[in-house]
Formats: sequence, C-alpha cells, structure tokens
Amino acid sequence: MKLASSQKSSGFTLSELLVTLSLSSVVLGVAIICGISLQKSFNATDNFLATHIQQVRIIDYLNRDVKRGLIVTTSVDLQSVTMTLPSYLIQTGDTEALTNPSLVNTPRTPTISYTSSGWQVNYGVSTTNVVYSINGSSIVRIENGVVTTIASSTDQLVPTTTDVDLANTEYASTSVTFMPIFNLAGNTADRTGTTLYATAYLRNKRRG
Amino acid sequence: MLISRKPRRQANVLLCVLSTILIVSVIGGNVLLNCVTRYNTASSQVRSWKESLDAAEAGGDIAYAEVRKTILDPTNAFTGSGWTYSGGVYTNSGVTFGRDNLSTSSKVDLFYYDSNGNPWYRIRTKGTSPVMGLRRVTMDDRMGIGTRGDSLLRKIDFNYDHFVATYGPNGDNVGKTLLTVIQPQISRRIELIVAPITPFEAAIKDAGTFYGLGDAAQIDSYNSANGPYYFAANNPSDPHYADSRSGNVEIDSAVATIRGMLYGNLYTNGGTIVRSSQVTGTVDNNVPFTLPPFQMPTDLPIPQNSPTKANGNTTINPPAAGTPQSPNFYLFSSFNGNLTVNPYGSSMTYVAIHTTSDITGTVDVKPNVHLVIYFDGNVNVKARDLTNESGIAGNLQLYGVSPTDPSVNQTINISPPGNFAATIYAPSAAYTMNGNPDITGALVCKTFYGNGNTTWHYDRQLDHEGDAVDYRVISYVEDTR
Repeated sequence: MKLASSQKSSGFTLSELLVTLSLSSVVLGVAIICGISLQKSFNATDNFLATHIQQVRIIDYLNRDVKRGLIVTTSVDLQSVTMTLPSYLIQTGDTEALTNPSLVNTPRTPTISYTSSGWQVNYGVSTTNVVYSINGSSIVRIENGVVTTIASSTDQLVPTTTDVDLANTEYASTSVTFMPIFNLAGNTADRTGTTLYATAYLRNKRRG
Repeated sequence: MLISRKPRRQANVLLCVLSTILIVSVIGGNVLLNCVTRYNTASSQVRSWKESLDAAEAGGDIAYAEVRKTILDPTNAFTGSGWTYSGGVYTNSGVTFGRDNLSTSSKVDLFYYDSNGNPWYRIRTKGTSPVMGLRRVTMDDRMGIGTRGDSLLRKIDFNYDHFVATYGPNGDNVGKTLLTVIQPQISRRIELIVAPITPFEAAIKDAGTFYGLGDAAQIDSYNSANGPYYFAANNPSDPHYADSRSGNVEIDSAVATIRGMLYGNLYTNGGTIVRSSQVTGTVDNNVPFTLPPFQMPTDLPIPQNSPTKANGNTTINPPAAGTPQSPNFYLFSSFNGNLTVNPYGSSMTYVAIHTTSDITGTVDVKPNVHLVIYFDGNVNVKARDLTNESGIAGNLQLYGVSPTDPSVNQTINISPPGNFAATIYAPSAAYTMNGNPDITGALVCKTFYGNGNTTWHYDRQLDHEGDAVDYRVISYVEDTR
C-alpha cells in the first residue's frame, strides 16, 4: 500500500487565505472596538467616581462649616452660601497677635456676654466670613477673602443649598448634581440620577 | 490513505478568538480594578474622616455627662475611670469603641463664672479613626496640577501625627514633636462651651397637673432692666411691648386647665387646652421635659456662727458683701419668726440661708440684698410675708431641696392677703395659691393649683438668674487645623 504524500497539501489555497484574513480582520476589529469602548468606559467610570468624590467633598465642606456656623444664608438662586463662623484661631494681625506674635494660629479663649437674645459665646471681637460659590466649572470657598477651589470638574457640578430658619436653630440642606460625561444627549434624568443630598444643623444658636 | 489536517486549522482560529477574549477581559478587569481601587481608597478616607468627628462628638458627650453630674450627682462627677485632674483641667485619657476602633479623649476646664456664680465649662475633645487600607504617601486629590482637593479638607496622618508635629499636643504651639502613628489615621478636634441652665426660663414651669388661674387672671412679662413693671402687653407701640409677652407657661402633663389671659407661649405634654384664644403666643402640646430633683449645693462657704434660727425678730447684718460664688451663708434649724436681712453698707450684698425646717415666718429683704433661701421642709406663708423691698424678683429666691424619700410630699402654700416679688424653684413641691395676689417672679414646681384672679409678671431678667439646675452646650467649634 502506498501512502499519500503530505507535502503536496501543505500550502493554503487562495480562498483559504482570504477566509482566514477576513476572519482575522473581524476578530482584530472587534478587539480594537472593545479596547476603545473599554477605554471610554474607563474614562466615564473614573470621571463619575471622581466627580462623586467631589460631590462628597463639597457637602463635607459645607456641613463642617454649617455645624460650627453662627449664621447661614443662601442666595436667591441657591447657588451661593454665605456663613458667619466663630474666629476660633488667632490670625496674624489680630489684637492678640500684635501683643504676642507666638499666639498666631492658636485657639482663643472665648468671652461670655449676655445679650437681649441670651448668653453669647464670642471668639474674639470679630467673626469669620465664608462664602461658597460657583466659578466657571469650579466650586470655590472664600474665607475672609482667601479663595480655595474645593471642587473642579468637567462634569458640570452644581451645588444647591437652602437654609431653613427654625425657632432658635437653623439647618442647611444641600444637594449636589453633575452631568456624567456619558449621557443621552443631555437628558435631564442623567443629571438628576447623580443627586447627592445632605442636611446639617447649626450647633450654635443662630445670630441675626 | 490520505490523512486530513483540517481540524488543526480550525483550532488555530479558535485559539485566536480565545486569546482576543482573554486580552479584552484583562483590559476590562484592569479598568474595573483601577476604578474600584481609587474609589475604595477615597471612600475609606471619607469614612474615616466622618467617623473621627463622630468619635470627637462621643468624647464631647462623655465629658458633657460629667459636667451635668456636677449638678445632678456631684459626688460622682469626674470620678469615673479614666478621669484625672491636674492644673485645673479634668482629663479623660481615652476611650476606644466600635468595630472600627474609634478612639476619643477629652479635656474639661472651668473657665468662667457668670453673675450668679455658676461655673461654665470648656470641653475640648479629639476623635480618631483609623484609615483602612495600605499606608500611602499621598491622597487622590485629582483637582488638577498644583491644586489640592481632599488633602486640604481631610488631613490624614499617614506616618506622623501632623497636628502634634505642627501645633503641639494641645494646639498651642508648645511641645511640637514628630509622633509616629501606628497606622494611618484621621483625627478631628472640637471645642464645646457648656453653660449652666438657670431655673427660671418661664413664668410658671410645672412638672405635673396644672389648674389655674382665675378667669380674670393675667400672666405677662416685663424687663426689670428697663425700669419698674407696667402693663404694655396690649400696646404694640409701647417701647417695652417686646418684653411684655414672655409670660410663658410650661406644663409637662396633659392635665392642664388654663384660665385667664396668658401673654406668652403655652407648652404642654399632650394636653388639650381650653380657651386657647386667651393665649397670645404659641400653643404647643408636644413639649415634654423633666425636672430633676434639686439637691443642696455643695460649694457654699462655711456657715456664719449666728443667727442659727429665725425665731421671734431676727436680723442678719452680714459681715461682708460676699459674692454670688461665695455669699454670706447661714444655717437655720427653724424659720418661724420675722427675719430681716440688711445689706453690708451700701454694697450689693449676697446672702444664702439653708433652713432644715419648714418656713412659716416672714422675711424682709432690704434693698441691695440678694437673698437665696434653701429649705428642706414646706412653706406655709401669706403672700405679704415675703417682702422684697427692691421689687426685683431675682433678689429673693427660694429653693426647695427635694426630699430624699420620694414618698414625702413637699408643699408650698401661699395664702392671702398680700403680694410678693420672688422666685421659687421647688421641682418636688405641690404649689397651692389662694386669693388674688400680684406676683412678680417665676415658679418651678411639681404641681400647680391657683384659683384666684392673680396677676403674674415674669421678669425677663430671670432667664439668666439663679443657681444652675443643669447644663447645656451653647457653643460648638471645630479646630480645622
């Protein structure tokens, strides 16, 4: 019996090559599309989470200041918040610091006074003014004129804060939204779906 | 025989597809891992930051409870485990709690005495929460080049306690040192000011049943700092109108029969108020409160040698003016005569009397005298027996020491004729008043009964008068360094 030679069939026919190349192209194309999609997905997810962290940061900043605040007021459009805080730390230029410069950045001992609205605890003769507002794509905190950017995002972060005055107390409710970079033609639901809410009460008795 | 090799070529294509899936999966997994790791790290830091404030506030609560004990349970104040006293500061070395091993420590110092001699306390607490995860060298700020985000707000001690290194352990720039932390942590510090609650925040405060007053009775208010009382509650253009409608009545009971005109707010605990149209202020039937028993203060000075009782005609001529914190103090075994208390020269003179008996006699408080009477028994007098020549209710204050035996009923009976200006704080006493007296002052009692057409004027100066009966936090600041 004579066996058939295998060398005669070792090459590919043109049709086989074309099919193989076609299949390879399709597989490679799919791989490239998957890669690009995953990269976009990575960017979108990463942006979403990063912006979410910024949402949390805005609320944490606001809550921290509301809790120690003496007065909290919001603008009519609810886009900026103005607060009056106790001046707990001695700053350069304060009376105490002029007398003793080593006291700069140390806590004050408060003084007590009785007013028509009751006892009042005063840290120094003046208070600290803090304003939160939107500046372009950033949220800024301005403390006695010093500007700090607390959040910055291409995802259109928008904080909205209302202050509510109750009898002898006050609280501020804040919601922060952003428009994720993956959205359906600017669909409103895409923004509202990212809303983060928080409420913080003044621990001090409201003044003014 | 010809052996076909076709199956091997098919396996190559399959291998190619599987490899592609593998590569795509690896990329996908990496994407997920990257996102989740960054997010988890940031979340963990946020959690620690919030929990450290919870810990600090828990430390504030622990210290606040001890401050309250200085009034409610003096023998056990700051005596629990962990509390030490040095240099005028009570220190709680630390408490660890919770599954996340939160820790807190507190310092309490008495930093101020008010005009009543009541101490004010400052509480400084520190709360610490460990940050889970790997020890890192920085935070994921992601705010752009040169712009810090989270690290400005959440100051994490990755290797060293930044606060001690920068400001010293007490934050006063003293004792700065590099202090290694066992694991990454966040600490937050708050300062609370705890103020005494004085007893006379309402015209009448009653823990039990309330009946009164007469149909033609009236409760209003004024401010003695602006001069003597006159009726202004029905005249909005009067300059003292704002002070005239604080004749508040607070009742911790649903059994409340309110009669007469009330220029102020009315609070009950589930009560149904009849004739609420005669209440000019707010009617709120959901305001429960508690009145803790009143205990004899322990910080009074040693009693004067004489007098030791008020029998017949007794006069006190104090040897010094005294102060609210350290008045001229007398201990009486009986009080059934006529007592006169004179000032020390022309000075404002502070006098305190503790009578272990009933009060059935009379008292005449001369101008420039501020008299406080603590009584262990009952009071049974006529309204005219309480003479307060200054007319300032805060200058004659009566405190009923709560009986140690709860089955003992303490009573205060005020009979006609006469009027008086005084304050009475007796949270364990049943108060009964007959006739139509004109009263300037405030009352705190267990139950109230008054059937006359009384006119009652609450002095707004009383809202910060008297011995502390409890404490409340009135100031909160956070040290954000």
